Amino acid sequence: MRILRYIGKRMLFIVPQLVGIVLVSFLLVKMIPGDPALLMMGPMASTEQLALLRSEMGLDGSIMYQFWIYLTNLVQGDLGNSWQTTRPVLEDLFMRFPATLELITLSLLLALLIGIPLGVAAAYFRRSVIKKFSDYYGLLAGALPDFWLGLILIYFFYTIFQIVPAPLGRIGFAVISPPPVTNFLIIDCILDGNWQALWSTLGHLILPVVTLGVITAGPILKMTQSTMERMLESDFIRYADMCGLPKSVVIRQAFRNSLPSIVTIVSVLYGFLIGGAVLVEIVFSWGGAGQYAVQGVLNADINPVLGFVLFSAILSLIIYLIVDLIYFAIDPRIRG
Amino acid sequence: MATNPRDVAPNAAAGQPVLSVDNLDVSYPVYGQDSVHAIRDLTLHVQPGEIVGLVGESGSGKTTLARAIMGLLVQPGRVDAGAIQFDDKDLRTLPEDKLRAIRGKDIAMVIPNPRSELDPLVTVGRQISNVARAHLGIKRNEADQMAMDMLGAVQIPDPARRFKAYPHELSGGMAQRVVMAISLVCSPKFVISDDATSGLDVTVQAQVLDLLRALVRSHNTAMLFITRDIGITAHFCDRVAVIYAGEIVEIAPMQSFFESPMHPYSVMLLAAFAHNPTLRAKWHKPLASAAPAHGGACAYAGRCVHAEDHCRQNSAELRELAPGHFVRCHYPVERPL
Repeated sequence: MRILRYIGKRMLFIVPQLVGIVLVSFLLVKMIPGDPALLMMGPMASTEQLALLRSEMGLDGSIMYQFWIYLTNLVQGDLGNSWQTTRPVLEDLFMRFPATLELITLSLLLALLIGIPLGVAAAYFRRSVIKKFSDYYGLLAGALPDFWLGLILIYFFYTIFQIVPAPLGRIGFAVISPPPVTNFLIIDCILDGNWQALWSTLGHLILPVVTLGVITAGPILKMTQSTMERMLESDFIRYADMCGLPKSVVIRQAFRNSLPSIVTIVSVLYGFLIGGAVLVEIVFSWGGAGQYAVQGVLNADINPVLGFVLFSAILSLIIYLIVDLIYFAIDPRIRG
Repeated sequence: MATNPRDVAPNAAAGQPVLSVDNLDVSYPVYGQDSVHAIRDLTLHVQPGEIVGLVGESGSGKTTLARAIMGLLVQPGRVDAGAIQFDDKDLRTLPEDKLRAIRGKDIAMVIPNPRSELDPLVTVGRQISNVARAHLGIKRNEADQMAMDMLGAVQIPDPARRFKAYPHELSGGMAQRVVMAISLVCSPKFVISDDATSGLDVTVQAQVLDLLRALVRSHNTAMLFITRDIGITAHFCDRVAVIYAGEIVEIAPMQSFFESPMHPYSVMLLAAFAHNPTLRAKWHKPLASAAPAHGGACAYAGRCVHAEDHCRQNSAELRELAPGHFVRCHYPVERPL
């Protein structure tokens, strides 16, 4: 019951939070120099034509008026059109967000698989090779740019060894794509029973997922290691040792107490990667949401940018809600 | 050299001791400096069923001794010399996994501030039964039943409900009882209580101590009772040892100790706790001293009201001045009462 009340309370705050986010990003995007009307019409357009288009797009009104227009459209589910793709932003985002989510979800899973075991081992074996290795790993993962690692991987595994498909999009050109249902290609392939397409999709996922996973494992590793170290030195672990509990039990106990910190860093990374994966998306021609937003910013195409911010915000709020629910499940002190 | 007083166990009573610590040296290396000697040449034997009080101020080495016995010295502490014998087993040379099997089962520890020592994410009943399960090789429901019984034994009201409580839901006194239940659930032969009740207020402290004593006595368990409060030892222990700067300066049967404390430090400790002003005044008066003993130098000389040049140049040895009453002093206090 407590938990339902908690979720309800959170939901209440979501709407004002979203309005605030949209307002701030609207003002920020409006501050970017560049005239969409000029960009749309090209350098040959006459002053009258430009003025006409501006008033059609509502660009001649005050900024708060423009925001009000945007907000009323938004309530009706209209995020406006992108003048670059000439399609509704909502449709574009429904196509592109799943591409990004597929990529970063798998990358984070890989990062967890690398970071958590390594972090736990490094925290437990304080004077070992593993500890040294994880120290260097954390340093390198923090220092290497992800797109650079992506280019190196492409060079070796595509150009030289030729064991992965070309870094051009999410699926091979010669393969018939499954009908779009969720736009998560893996799920669509399975729904369609199209195993050839699934194989191609997985092949295209390998390099970008490895790129992002290997880099993102760095912060997860560091967080796991430092929290585990703190836990292993804490009073109750010392006491567990005094009680002669088996090593494996003691480590599990320390890990369970470290989980909230690890869950937190994972949620932060997830929110960050939605936009932060953009360089890797560009390297692999992924066509994801980050790329879409950056194109919008560069070409004064405001609607895609705002749509992206809105989607990211909603997703982040959902993630933070899930994180809170996980805290609830783990820690009785929060359940109260 | 049987004549060297070090080789004579200061409390060699009849029978096989359950725990014997002999000539133990523990030090903490300090980077770029001389290491700190936390325990020096400490010998202590505890008989089955005996309660030995260990009294000393902060930093005197009480907790270090407890942790050395458990084999859980805080980094970078290390045992430099000496032997720790438990029940025929040499704890110093025993491998880690064998030690783990002994900890919590044969030697248990009661610790202070129990609420931070319990796992915040696990119910207290489960924490008791986990220890029972790890050591006794029994099934979960059997262990849970034992834990429930144990909660009853430490006089926690409504054990079935408290079994499901989390540590943060308990009062300090209640949590202390849970820790006692954990330490006693495997019926250990030897219990170390390290300043266990220092965080509790005085009335709760008295209840918890009485309970601990009753439980230990009823199982004929031996106990090393570490405390800063010399007053508690008076009605709690069979023997009292006073530790100063890592050395036992006086060890005696309870009666003998409180009737005639002989080390100036013991006298000062007693005076500090005495509420009777005449007693205080009497103990604080410079008292007649015995004739100088043979060779030795003294760690307490710097603070001692009776110290003479001899004390500052020679270390003192433990000497038996009354039956079972050992004192490490060149000029022991004579009959202060």
